[in-house]
Amino acid sequence: MAIAKAERLMNLALCLLGTRRPLSKRELRGSIEAYLEAGSDDAFNRMFERDKDDLRELGLVIETVENLDGDTGYLARRDSNRLPPITLDAEEAAALGLAAKVWQQARLAGAASGALQKLRAAGMPEAEDAYEVHSALEPRIPVHEAAFEPLMLACRDRRPVTFDYRKANAARPEQRQVEPWTLECWRGHWYLAGWDRERGAERVFRLSRISGRVRSRAGAFTAPVPDVVTVRETVESWAGETATRTARIRLKSGSGYPLRARATSVRDLGGGWDELEIPYGHGLDAWLVEFGPDVVVSEPADLRADVVDRLRAVAKD
Amino acid sequence: MATNAIDQTRRMLSLVTYLRERPGAHVQDVARAFGITEDELISDLDVLPMCGTSFRGGDLLDIDTDGDRIWWHNPDDVAEPLRLAADEATALLVAARAVATLPGLRESDRQALVRATAKLETAAGEVGAASSRLSVTFESEGGVFADVDRAISERRRLWLRYYSPARDALTEREVDPIRLFAVGHTYMEGWCRLTEARRTFRLDRVAEIRLLDAPSEPPELELRDLSEGLVQPAAEDPEVVIEVGPGGRWVAEYYPHDRAEELPDGGMRITLRTPDPASLRRLALRLGGEGRITAPQDLAESARAAAREALAAYDGAL
Repeated sequence: MAIAKAERLMNLALCLLGTRRPLSKRELRGSIEAYLEAGSDDAFNRMFERDKDDLRELGLVIETVENLDGDTGYLARRDSNRLPPITLDAEEAAALGLAAKVWQQARLAGAASGALQKLRAAGMPEAEDAYEVHSALEPRIPVHEAAFEPLMLACRDRRPVTFDYRKANAARPEQRQVEPWTLECWRGHWYLAGWDRERGAERVFRLSRISGRVRSRAGAFTAPVPDVVTVRETVESWAGETATRTARIRLKSGSGYPLRARATSVRDLGGGWDELEIPYGHGLDAWLVEFGPDVVVSEPADLRADVVDRLRAVAKD
Repeated sequence: MATNAIDQTRRMLSLVTYLRERPGAHVQDVARAFGITEDELISDLDVLPMCGTSFRGGDLLDIDTDGDRIWWHNPDDVAEPLRLAADEATALLVAARAVATLPGLRESDRQALVRATAKLETAAGEVGAASSRLSVTFESEGGVFADVDRAISERRRLWLRYYSPARDALTEREVDPIRLFAVGHTYMEGWCRLTEARRTFRLDRVAEIRLLDAPSEPPELELRDLSEGLVQPAAEDPEVVIEVGPGGRWVAEYYPHDRAEELPDGGMRITLRTPDPASLRRLALRLGGEGRITAPQDLAESARAAAREALAAYDGAL
C-alpha cells in the first residue's frame, strides 16, 4: 500500500528540523521510506519538490545550501522556525477560538485551526468553550466564489492575474488583466481591488461576476500598490449610498418602512398618503418601482421619468 | 473538519510539541484541545510512530496510546513550537479583526480580542503582513444586536416590530430567540410565537425591539447547518421562472436558485423555488425592462397589474 502523504510530509519535516547540517537529496531519499518506494528519479524529484512546497505553505522555512562538492543540501533551522514567545490568557484564547471558527472556506478554516493548534502547542490555555456560555454570537464569513482562493493567493504573493469578467450590464464577459491588491468582504459579497493594466487605472471587481478560471501571469506588478485601498467606498457608490441630491415622493400611509427609515422628512398629506424627502443616489428608481402603486415620485423630473419608464416596461411585458 | 494531508501534517507537528509537555495526556483532553474528534486523533497517533527524526533512521517517534492516555517514550527536542505560516496568520488575524468590528460584541470580549490580535501580530512577524490584503466587515445593528444578545443570555422572550419586504409591511410578534449569527448581514434565529415556527430575522429589518419578562421557551430544535445557505426551500415549494437580460444577471447572485441557464443574448433563465411566489412581485417590478417572470402566470400578471396601477398616478402629468 502506498504510504500516506501526511506520513511522508511529517518525516521530511522532522528530518529537516532535526538535522544540524544540510542534508542532500540523496540522504533524504535513502532515509524516508516513501521516497525509497518512489521508483524513478523523475518520480522522486517531482514528489520531493512538491513536498518542499507543501511544507513551506505550512510555514516551514527550508534553506537551500550549496555544499563544497556542488551538492545541494536542505535544512530547516530551529531558530528560524521557532514561534516567538507568546503568552495568551484564557479570555484572549477564547476570543481567538471564536474568531477561528468564522471561516467557511476550507483553506482558511484549515489554516485558522492550524494556527490555533500551534498556539495551543506553545502553551495557549484552554477555554473550555467559555465563550459560548456568555455570548450567543455566531459570526460566519461566507465564501461561495470559486475565484476566491486563487485571488487570495495572488494577493498574498503579489502575482498578476487574468480572468474573464462580466460587468453588471454586459452581455459578454471580457478578459481583464489585473494586479490584485486586496480582497474585501462586505455585506456577504467579496470584492477585489487592483490595478487594471489595460485601463491603466484602479478598479474594483465583484468576485461573483468572474467566470472561468483565474490565471496567474509571470512577472511582477508594474504599478505601485497604494497604502490604503478603498473598496467599500466604490461599492457603496454602486449601491447608490452616496446620494448627492434629494427626491420628493408620495408614499401610501403604513407602507414602505425602509423608505421611511431613510427619509429626511415625513409629512402627512391626508387621504392615506404621506410625503417624504429621501436621498437620491444611483439606483433609487429601481428601488422605488418595487413599491408599485404605493409610491408616486413628485420630483425631480428625471427620477420621475426613470420610474415611469421602468413601470411601462413591466406593464407591457 | 476536513482532513487533507496538509491539515493533518500541520496538526501532527503541533501534536508532538503538545505531547512532549504532557506525558500521559488523556485522549479526550488532547482531542478537545486540538478541536478534533478522538478518531482523528487516534489516526494521527497511528501515523506518528512511522515518523523518524533523523535521516539516519532508527529513531522513530515512540508514541503510543492505550486508547485512554498517550505516552511518548523518547521525547525529542525537535518538537519545538513552530512559527505561523502566512495563511495561518492571515486566517486568524483577518477573522479576529472582523469579529472585533461587530457592534454587538461585549466590550470585555472586544478588548480580549484586540489584545490577542496585537500579540498575534507580534508573534507572526513579517508573515502577518499579508493579512492586510484581506478584510471583512460585518454589518450589524448595534442596539438591536445588544438586546437580542441579552435576551439570549437571560433567556427572555422578545417583542419585535419586524419589516417583511415580501409584504412591504411591519408585523408585531413575540419571538423566543435561539441564536445570533452573521453571514454578511446579522441574523437572529428564533421561535416565532405568532406563527409557531422557526424563523430567521435580519436585524436591519427590526424596526423596534423590547425585552419581555416572559421566559424564552423555544422547543428543542436541531440547529440548522448554515453552511448550506440561509434559504433552504422545500422540494414541494412552487417553482418560479425568471428570464433576465444582461442587466438582470445580478438576480442569480442574490437569489438562491435551482438552475441558471445562459441565454443567447447574454441573459439568463433562472429557476428557483419559494414557499411564497407572491413575494417576488417586488423583483418583477424592480427588473423593469431587464427581465420578467415567465412562470407562474398569475405572478407575472400581478406584477403587470401593479405597474399599470402605478402608472395611472402619473397620467396627465406626462
